[in-house]
Amino acid sequence: MREHQPDPPNPGALAHRAEARAAPVRPPGTPRDGAIPRLETVRVTAPDLARRATLETSRRRLLGAAAGFTTLFAALATKLTDATILDPVKPPPAPKNTFSTVARPLPTADRPRAMMVDRNGEILAVSLPTAAVYADPRQMMDRADAVRRLQNVLPGLNGPALLAEFTAPHREFVYVAREVGPEQELRINDLGIPGVNFLPAEARHYPLGRIAAQTIGAVDIDGHGIAGLEKSQNRRLREDPNPLRLALDVRVQAVLRDEMAKALDDFQAIGAAGIVMDVHTGEVLAMVSLPDYNANDFASAVPKARFNRAATGVYEPGSAFKLQTVGMALDPGLVHVWDRFDTTHPIDIGRFVIKDYEPMDRWLYLPEIIAYSSNIGASRIALIVGKARQRAWLRKLGFFERCPIELPEAAMPLVQSDAEWSEATVMTVSFGNGIAMTPLHLINGTVALVNGGVLFAPTLLYQDPATPRPGSAVMQPDTSDTVRKLMRDVVTHGTGTFGRVPGYFVGGKTGTSQVVRSGGYRQHTNRAGFLAAFPINAPRYAFYVMLDSPHANALSQGYSTGGEISAPVVARTIARIAPMFGLLPVTDPAEKAAIERQIDLPLQPQPPPGVIALGPGHPYPPGAADAPDDLSRKRTPAASGHALAPRAPRRYASSHASDQGR
Amino acid sequence: MSVKGGPLQRAEGRLLRVTSFDFTRKIARINWFFVALVVLLGGVGALSLYSATGAFDPYAKRQLLRLAVGFALMLAIAFVDIRIIARLAWPLYAVSLVLLVMVLKFGSVGLGAERWLSIGGVAVQPSEFMKVALVLALAHWFHRASWERIGNPFFLLLPLAATLLPVVLILKEPNLGTALIVLAIGATTFFAAGVRLWSFALALVLGGLATPIAFAHLHGYQKARILTFLDPARDPLGAGYNIIQAKIALGSGGMWGQGLMHASQGRLDFLPEKETDFIFTLFAEQFGFVGSIALVGLLCLIVCTAGAIALSSRHQFGRLVAFGIGMNFFLYVFVNLAMVMGLIPVGGVPLPLISYGGSALLTTMASFGILLSVQVHGDADFTPKREGV
Repeated sequence: MREHQPDPPNPGALAHRAEARAAPVRPPGTPRDGAIPRLETVRVTAPDLARRATLETSRRRLLGAAAGFTTLFAALATKLTDATILDPVKPPPAPKNTFSTVARPLPTADRPRAMMVDRNGEILAVSLPTAAVYADPRQMMDRADAVRRLQNVLPGLNGPALLAEFTAPHREFVYVAREVGPEQELRINDLGIPGVNFLPAEARHYPLGRIAAQTIGAVDIDGHGIAGLEKSQNRRLREDPNPLRLALDVRVQAVLRDEMAKALDDFQAIGAAGIVMDVHTGEVLAMVSLPDYNANDFASAVPKARFNRAATGVYEPGSAFKLQTVGMALDPGLVHVWDRFDTTHPIDIGRFVIKDYEPMDRWLYLPEIIAYSSNIGASRIALIVGKARQRAWLRKLGFFERCPIELPEAAMPLVQSDAEWSEATVMTVSFGNGIAMTPLHLINGTVALVNGGVLFAPTLLYQDPATPRPGSAVMQPDTSDTVRKLMRDVVTHGTGTFGRVPGYFVGGKTGTSQVVRSGGYRQHTNRAGFLAAFPINAPRYAFYVMLDSPHANALSQGYSTGGEISAPVVARTIARIAPMFGLLPVTDPAEKAAIERQIDLPLQPQPPPGVIALGPGHPYPPGAADAPDDLSRKRTPAASGHALAPRAPRRYASSHASDQGR
Repeated sequence: MSVKGGPLQRAEGRLLRVTSFDFTRKIARINWFFVALVVLLGGVGALSLYSATGAFDPYAKRQLLRLAVGFALMLAIAFVDIRIIARLAWPLYAVSLVLLVMVLKFGSVGLGAERWLSIGGVAVQPSEFMKVALVLALAHWFHRASWERIGNPFFLLLPLAATLLPVVLILKEPNLGTALIVLAIGATTFFAAGVRLWSFALALVLGGLATPIAFAHLHGYQKARILTFLDPARDPLGAGYNIIQAKIALGSGGMWGQGLMHASQGRLDFLPEKETDFIFTLFAEQFGFVGSIALVGLLCLIVCTAGAIALSSRHQFGRLVAFGIGMNFFLYVFVNLAMVMGLIPVGGVPLPLISYGGSALLTTMASFGILLSVQVHGDADFTPKREGV
């Protein structure tokens, strides 16, 4: 057997080998100079060889394993490159069908979204607890079978679409149905399909269906308000479980809608807007927009039906705006009811010719201008008021800005800028052309003209009568009194006689405007509006009804104007709702005569003794806009043969005359 | 004669089979490059844990303490003669096996499985010890085996049993992931020892045939667990969620990363298990592709160094031990990285020395100590001491 040499035996030999190592020519690994290293000179035995063979095997296999390691590390590096640089997964910006949807505060049974009730407590919107059915398809044994069984309980399911969702890759959360009732929930639960679960949910119901649908608005499938009051009051409805009491009165709303729908049908109008407002608080008692939709089926409502014409539609107010023109002229004492204005000929200005619908061909008294709705007369009054006072008045009454009402959809009016506001604009705006606004703007500005001169912010929320609503006084009470009398004349003698209601005292103003199309107005198409206040002797409610593009027929005596189309709607509505407000028809002749005396204003009132009225020979009052004749230079009063600016001192009736005098 | 470090001494070191070791020589023979790599990796781990919370408490501080203890343990074991370690191989295996049995009997249940054993108030995971003990035992068995003996199937029966016994015990905990890793360690040790390739083919075929039969005999919940392991999407709120968030974290790191402490996914608690199994994604989000590939490179370098140590060993025991330890480390790293990158199902395997956790860290450090010991005692002569001729 071999004997292992003890070491280290010979330092000299080591030194020799160190020298040999320094020799540069030796290839690595080969023995030096053929010398057999002494210490390696061991007898190689069979077990030794076997051991070496084993070591050699393990060496080869280690290298093979190393290759495997390298491959696997390369795979890791590749995947790492892919995951970080080439195709990084970004956090989902707004997860829709993932679990974060659940994290969103869903309405739960313990704190449901508050009800909305009308001013009398009628339920307009209420949340009922339901269940949402969802599924995790990965837990399902047989997805097609699951769809089939779910369809048995929920026949409305779109089977193929649901199956496609179930089988889509990486789906972890699929809504099967968002609202199921307790019975269906029980039946689905009894199916025992793995992965099908329930989330507590709630469904918003609108028991009155179409009543005030656009005003109340809508919620999305998660119970968040997305339109109307549901949107503007979203926070209130979610945080305060007490019912939200609205200013609306469903009785008024239903009657108004009923009458408007009839007219819409009768005259084949494309749409209609109507508002009833409490003139002492600015509360909106009814807001109707037709066509409408069932509020319980918001999703399938067409955009035309969702559109709230009363608050979002922007229309030219037409002649109803003449009330504003006389208001802004009467209030500073520029004109008086006994003043007369030249309407003998059309006014030709720029590319417009201002004409009257029914020309009278004479100088009209101010009540006549309103009652017969003379555009020329209104233009003459506006010329006296002038641009600056006109714009200041319109701004003061809120016609230049969005109506401050609780509707996210409330629209801006369309108003020309100060620079664009030419003399032609001054005149056209006087009769409601060249300016466009929502019906809500119009009625809110008119409320101030009839309630004694107080402007309110219109509101859809109930106002406690115990605390008077703050408003701003925008004119003198006298002016409001006069305007109310003028409105009464419209109904008794003028264009609004169809607004009369037996036993009640209604005042109003018709407003017919043409429908704008690109570049001008459409022929034979108009919007027929009627603005009313009632009872006109002591107003409580203001009305505005407008039908869009009605077709004249025998019912309207062949006319498509506000007086024939919309005034009857208002009249019928008043007749039906007045008793609800405790207002009974006045049947006692003595009482009737007393009220009529109170609100009577002759169409041709005579000035008090000693007062010189405007009229032929005295066309301009002191304080009139600078050189108003410049504005109507084509046909000045002088040109029509009347002397200008009399030398004799005159007395003017208005107490403001001295303020305004030059 | 103080010629230590001189050319003669170095030449002697290379040429002689150094069969006796004094302390200073051992210090010189320690693979300090490997030690530096381990220290670097531990530092990266502590940094990652620090960034998980933005403070030293609670993870980074305790991890640093464990690293210090583990480092001392590693160096201490490096000085232990490999022949002593070889003599301890089977006793260590026996102790680990007893612990594995004990964990089934007395172990504490955590997360639906009994994997932890409390010894003197310290929770330990016996399966971690078994990984190293199995390597040692198998290396000892194959150390003196000749090519012919290894070819003899009967020679393989005992090591086969020694491998399968812990695998079955770990399966019963149940911890399929660790069981498979132990099985892989055993198999690769067999492979490196020179077991014939046809044996592996035969084992694969037999295993493939036995799986459906075994599966059919499992309980329903066991089947469900295995299926969940194989397809984490079955468990959406658990593993599936982790994977998605991990991928997002990797993706938001991009090329250069969000910067230290700027990991939104990690810091904002989107990332579950970020201080343990998914720490790599936290690191990747902060340091991006460049940092991550450097970390993967560091891990790869450690595995390669272990391989080099294995090759440098002149005895089969050391070679197999070094290889097995390297393999163990590699499997940890690969399974963890592949898991967080979504290449393989989630297995609950930590990233060694980076993830927060004591049992795995100390076991890894101890195994690295053995590895260093192999390097130090690479020339050890296992020939039994005999007197005279």
